[in-house]
Amino acid sequence: MKIIACYSNKGGVGKTATSVNLAYALAARGKRVLLCDLDPQGASGFYFRVKPSKKLTEADFFEDVEKFTKAIRGSDYDNLDILPANMTFRDFDVFLSRMRNSRSRLKKALKAVKGDYDVIVLDCPPNISTLSENVFRAADAVLVPVIPTTLSQRTFEQLLDFFHDHDLPVKKLHGFFSMVQGVKTLHGETMEALRSAHPKRFLTAQVPFASDIERMGVHRAPVMATAPGSAASHAYQALCDEFMARVEE
Amino acid sequence: MSDTEATRYHLPTGAAGLLTDGDMGGLRPVVTLAEAVPFTVLDCFDQSLREAGLLLFAARDRLDLLLPDGRDLSQTGAAGFVGDLPEGPVRDVLAGIVSPLRHLLPVGSGELREGTLALLDDEGKTQARALLHLFAGTGGADVLLATPRGLRGYDAALIRLRERLIACGGAAVEGDALYRALFPDFPLYTNKPALRIAPDETAFQTARAIIASLIPVLRANEPGIIADLDTEFLHDYRVALRKIRSVLSLFRGVFDPDQTMRLKTRVSALMTPTGRLRDLDVYLLEREQIEDLLPEGLSGGLDAMFDLFAAERATAQARLAKHLQSGRYAREIEALRKIFSGGKALRRGAHADIPSHDLACKLIWKRYRKICRMASDIGPDTADTEIHQLRIHCKKLRYLMEFFGPAFPADAFAPLLKSLKKLQDSLGLFNDYSVQQASLRAFVSDLGDHQPHGIAIAQSVGALIAVLHRRQIEERDRIIGSFETFSSPQVRRAFHDLFHREDAPS
Ligand SMILES: Nc1ncnc2c1ncn2[C@@H]1O[C@H](COP(=O)(O)OP(=O)(O)OP(=O)(O)O)[C@@H](O)[C@H]1O
Ligand SMILES: [Mg+2]
Repeated sequence: MKIIACYSNKGGVGKTATSVNLAYALAARGKRVLLCDLDPQGASGFYFRVKPSKKLTEADFFEDVEKFTKAIRGSDYDNLDILPANMTFRDFDVFLSRMRNSRSRLKKALKAVKGDYDVIVLDCPPNISTLSENVFRAADAVLVPVIPTTLSQRTFEQLLDFFHDHDLPVKKLHGFFSMVQGVKTLHGETMEALRSAHPKRFLTAQVPFASDIERMGVHRAPVMATAPGSAASHAYQALCDEFMARVEE
Repeated sequence: MSDTEATRYHLPTGAAGLLTDGDMGGLRPVVTLAEAVPFTVLDCFDQSLREAGLLLFAARDRLDLLLPDGRDLSQTGAAGFVGDLPEGPVRDVLAGIVSPLRHLLPVGSGELREGTLALLDDEGKTQARALLHLFAGTGGADVLLATPRGLRGYDAALIRLRERLIACGGAAVEGDALYRALFPDFPLYTNKPALRIAPDETAFQTARAIIASLIPVLRANEPGIIADLDTEFLHDYRVALRKIRSVLSLFRGVFDPDQTMRLKTRVSALMTPTGRLRDLDVYLLEREQIEDLLPEGLSGGLDAMFDLFAAERATAQARLAKHLQSGRYAREIEALRKIFSGGKALRRGAHADIPSHDLACKLIWKRYRKICRMASDIGPDTADTEIHQLRIHCKKLRYLMEFFGPAFPADAFAPLLKSLKKLQDSLGLFNDYSVQQASLRAFVSDLGDHQPHGIAIAQSVGALIAVLHRRQIEERDRIIGSFETFSSPQVRRAFHDLFHREDAPS
């Protein structure tokens, strides 16, 4: 099982759009996927039309594995389940360590309902500083959308520093360029600068700024499901392929 | 299975419109159906898929398999042998059910529309769905098949969905119901017709009924032999003939002795033209196994040998096909059918009126004791011919037990049959090895000098005979072991209790 966190310390960079499409693409490939919506706003749940379920109290979480697994909702797509936003961050690293431990009651409960997963995708909200270290440790890979602007460059480097300072393996970080606008020379220059500064940290695949992606909010479905032939879908597919090749290596 | 938990529902086709009639507890039912595509249901001749409650069909250049547990599998492929299908989930399941020797054949065709029934909530989220298959134009009833697919965390919606399916006339699909609804005229086939033996039935009635049930098996296999679809048609044909012959010889005195003799000759005459083709089939089927027996260096001649077999097989098949299509054959088989159809043509023998059950006990007990007596003498020095004799006795015992099986309680009967089968497997292998050696010797000596690959063939075959001989000796040890079990006090006791009751005539 792989845990993948889609993370950025900056808001509005495309984390949710990426999580939703990555989870969809993996499920379409036959992987059993659980997409965890960690954003209290329930953004990825919104895209799958899943209503936020009743908040699990801390007591439930620790005492009642069954209640927890009951919070999971099947999406409209095969192999893809959603854990709607309903956890406190403090619970969350407990959840992750239990998912890791094959003998935990959580894992056993999931297996019992044939609900064990091949991949867990975490759609992280920005600014989860208290939790982030735990997420980074638990995750096999951290996928970081970066809008190619000067400001984003700083943010990405802060993240690298954070990894160094906390003795986290930098190898886990996989940046990619998000909302790329081909006409903006600034974008091109920033991407070049970042790639040459961190040659191993960036994926080749990038996601363009696309109205199809913006319209996901109208369709309330992954763009890969509603417009599979679009440039945006191809970009997410290429991102998924390249990223997973790295993760599974 | 109760309707509320069914894995699949069978609905009247008119129900498609009703499914979406009105909201269901805040959920909106929506049906989508794709364009109709042609489909063809496939099964092998012995209908293993129907018997297992599966439906396999070809549509859109793919094979779809509907399993009784509600799973739908799909992969590329078409009719043919399962072993020739590309790797895939359908092939994996079929491999466990369909004999590798059987060709998948069309059962019938029609038009199919696939789709879904989804229950949507106020956000437009699907909370439960059923996959729909609308089968039409098969000559049978149109069938709407609904397979519920619950979504995790939406159990209540799934219950609603099932309620709706049931309210629209849906009933759980059981066994081969679907198959029969689609193709009501499709003849059901089994190579082992099940007979019932009434408690007061006479030996004459039973013997006649067994043969009468086997003649349709012969007839059913003729087209497959003629079209050369797979080798099992001929195999089943020969087994049925052999059973007929065994009834004639095992039910001694039940039919008139002179007539029995003539009938045996006639049945043997039907068997004769099938022998060579079956031998060649067996060689060719075993080709891979045989090639594995020899080291690389020695197997060179085998290709040439199998080429000769394949060429001869083509001739033998054509000859048998011609025979089966001849007027003479048609008249003969029809004449035999008439004799056993219950008229006066079949004459009674001295034992005609013995109750079947008593005759069964007598014959089975006698044969079993004979086998035990012979088996107690076998050891490392026993001649092959004696083991061969034993094999024949076991085979006769097996036929007796199969013929009379319905007259005995199944739970007591089945374990005895099982231990006999195990013994027969060893004996069969032993016999195969010895027959193969003999026929390979004959093959080499018939080769003649002008055969271009003669020397290579002779070398390969010589090595092969040596391997077969070793295997035969190994199998022999196994046979001795199996006999020890078969004649053990427990098995003996069981045979005694079932077939040698004190009140029965011995
Ligand atoms: N490649 C893109 N092209 C155009 N619009 C995009 C693209 N990616 C995301 N968007 C839009 O930008 C907005 C923010 O995207 P998204 O919600 O995925 O970012 P986020 O990083 O998850 O934000 P937050 O930090 O608030 O969780 C959304 O309205 C989304 O539709
Ligand atoms: Mg977000």
